[in-house]
Amino acid sequence: MAETRAMKLGLDDRVALVTGGSRGIGAAVCVELARQGCDVALTYVGEPGEADDTVAAIEGLGRRVLPLLADAADSTATEEAITRTVTELGELDILVCNAGITRDAVIWNMSDRAWDDVLAVNLKGYFTFNRAAARLFKDRRRGRIINISSINGERGKFGQANYTAAKGGVNALTRTLARELGKFDVTVNAVAPGMVATEMAEGLAPEFRNAAIRESMLGRLADPADIANVVAFLCSDFAKHVTGQVIRVDGGQYI
Amino acid sequence: MFEWFGKVNYCRDTKVDGFATHLRAGRLMGSACSGCGHLSYPPRADCPICRSGEFAFIELSGKGTLSTYTTIFAAPAGFTQDAPFHLGVVDLKEAGRLLAPFGDTIGPTEITIDMAVQIVPRLCDETESIKVYYTLEKPGTTWFKTDPA
Amino acid sequence: MSKVGIVGIGHTVFGRRSDATVQELAFEAYRDALADGALDPAVIEATVIGSVPEYHKQRSLAGVIQEYLNLNPKPTWLTEVACASGSAAIRTAWLSIKAGVHDVVAVIGCQKMTELETAEILALMGRVGDVQWESGFGTTFPGYYAMFAQRHMHEFGTTAEQLAQVAVKNHYYGARNPKALFQKEITADKALASDPVASPLTVYDCCANADGAACVILAGESAARKLGGGRVVWLEGNGCASASMSVLRRSSLTGLPSAREAAAQAYRMAGITARDVKVAEVHDCFTIAEIMAYEDLGFCAEGAGGAFVAERQSYIGGSTPVNVDGGLKAKGHPVGATGVSMACEMVHQLRAEAGARQVPGADVGLTHNVGGIGQYCFVNVFVKD
Repeated sequence: MAETRAMKLGLDDRVALVTGGSRGIGAAVCVELARQGCDVALTYVGEPGEADDTVAAIEGLGRRVLPLLADAADSTATEEAITRTVTELGELDILVCNAGITRDAVIWNMSDRAWDDVLAVNLKGYFTFNRAAARLFKDRRRGRIINISSINGERGKFGQANYTAAKGGVNALTRTLARELGKFDVTVNAVAPGMVATEMAEGLAPEFRNAAIRESMLGRLADPADIANVVAFLCSDFAKHVTGQVIRVDGGQYI
Repeated sequence: MFEWFGKVNYCRDTKVDGFATHLRAGRLMGSACSGCGHLSYPPRADCPICRSGEFAFIELSGKGTLSTYTTIFAAPAGFTQDAPFHLGVVDLKEAGRLLAPFGDTIGPTEITIDMAVQIVPRLCDETESIKVYYTLEKPGTTWFKTDPA
Repeated sequence: MSKVGIVGIGHTVFGRRSDATVQELAFEAYRDALADGALDPAVIEATVIGSVPEYHKQRSLAGVIQEYLNLNPKPTWLTEVACASGSAAIRTAWLSIKAGVHDVVAVIGCQKMTELETAEILALMGRVGDVQWESGFGTTFPGYYAMFAQRHMHEFGTTAEQLAQVAVKNHYYGARNPKALFQKEITADKALASDPVASPLTVYDCCANADGAACVILAGESAARKLGGGRVVWLEGNGCASASMSVLRRSSLTGLPSAREAAAQAYRMAGITARDVKVAEVHDCFTIAEIMAYEDLGFCAEGAGGAFVAERQSYIGGSTPVNVDGGLKAKGHPVGATGVSMACEMVHQLRAEAGARQVPGADVGLTHNVGGIGQYCFVNVFVKD
């Protein structure tokens, strides 16, 4: 593998909160931000040990880490996660909303529960985290919000009425918040991956992965690091004039 | 952009345009004449004393004493939803006088002539477009200020 | 240098004149002034119109009026200094006669306040003050005088009750002036109980808008003696001054520096002092304005204006009767007409033709007409022939 040069993004001593940071895209974002000099808080659900690998990676880079067990569908828990980040890491400069679930079904088979659960985590969860961060950032007159979306928020996706509705909503939420927070020097952007080589993707049947590879102009799926690199760039001052955008990192799957 | 200044703005074009940009950064600026040093608030490009057209913005402390006040009940266009609201005229410590609405730290029953006040720059968060103004607050009230460029 | 006198006066009913255009109102006053002086219109060499243009739909009013009065091709133009536009028109005519350019000039102050829609009025209301530094915070015309009142109360102990006494007096006299908008007396209780406008001023502390017109015909001394038929009243003192438009640069917040300056000029020119004034018209756009006027004009000491009205010194029989035609408060305030209306009242008084509101033995009268919040003031002294 060719040696990769690290980006120098000037994020030293910033504090980031990444939701769903224990694995997949979220974990990659946590690690890249730590590499760029951030202290990182991360939320996760499941067993207490779920986040151990990510925590170890961050500590290995010499940064502070705060793992927080918090269900993104629980708005009290989301507020508390933000508060604890500020209390224990001293500040909040960056919010990356990433926690997301799928409950696929064609609509005629999709239950109320499947709809509600996905919307609760993937859209309402983003709303509650974004709201809490917005309150802090507008008073400080600085901040970065990055909402992880999907190209399947801009196009339809068979079997994902709930997921695509939520991601489409995330894109709209992102644009509105860019308008509301712009005057406070806070940028709000969404990153829309195509298919990414994560556990979630691995659980799919090979024909779905291959279909995605065929769609991609680059003949491959994204690594989680591909998404994390763009997220890190958007967090930096190099991206200070980018706001209200949905930036596709999809290898050309959807153009 | 002077059009940012005021809860309603009637004045877009002025030689002291930079006033609003400074206020957005949390700085209340008066003007000092480059010819004779005369200090003015509100700031003005044309010196009333020596007629020089050259001036510099000077940052003021925002400290002052209340000269007079009123509560507006019958409000003009753009303010009808705010009525009744309280306005004060303040003699500024360094120079000149300023008119502004009272802010949240001073209740209507606390308003008395000669009280000490602090002018606090404000950025309106209820509108998409940028709107800067100031309010009269108790001395010691803090506010956001960006570092000078 | 020769004197300038008034040889004819006319005055419409002030009120909501939904029966007339502004030029039709001007014509009423003009016709009455010619009749009052038994004058042939051929003697009129020029007109000066006092009016505030932003209240009218018709742009450039002077030309429309001159045409309607059938006075083309005589020269005409508008003078505008807010609520003192009528007195500015008088001063312009006086200057032209003093300069020897004209002998006889008709001055018409005229105004409709009711042509605008509510939204247009609300928009105008907010632009009385400095639009760059003050209007952005919602100041209004009553708001400025309210701030003067607040300061006056703080420094001199003036009370709301004393302010109400000004309104009571002016409505008392308005009820005796068939040309006034308000024809009923009021009580102090009613005034004090009325809705707040800008603290401490309530509805009854504020003059009302009205439509109306008034006309005075000025003439140089020899023309006046020829035309005047023995009923000339002389304009012997004409004082005029400006002050900072903005309260942010005003040297006093309890008096009008422009009024003090204009009064000093008028007294000096007429060779009189405040004590010589037997009857006065002052600019009571708000009750506090009348109290400040007593002090600025020297009718009483600084700060004593509240006591002056409470002690009935500004009623007929008091030391200086003021606004015995009802003032702006009871007549209403058609802004361009007010200054000329004041002059008409002086002529009535000094001709001893004021009937039920005659000040006995009035030989010297004074008008005090303020524009805006005191950036302009015109003080005139009138003397019986």
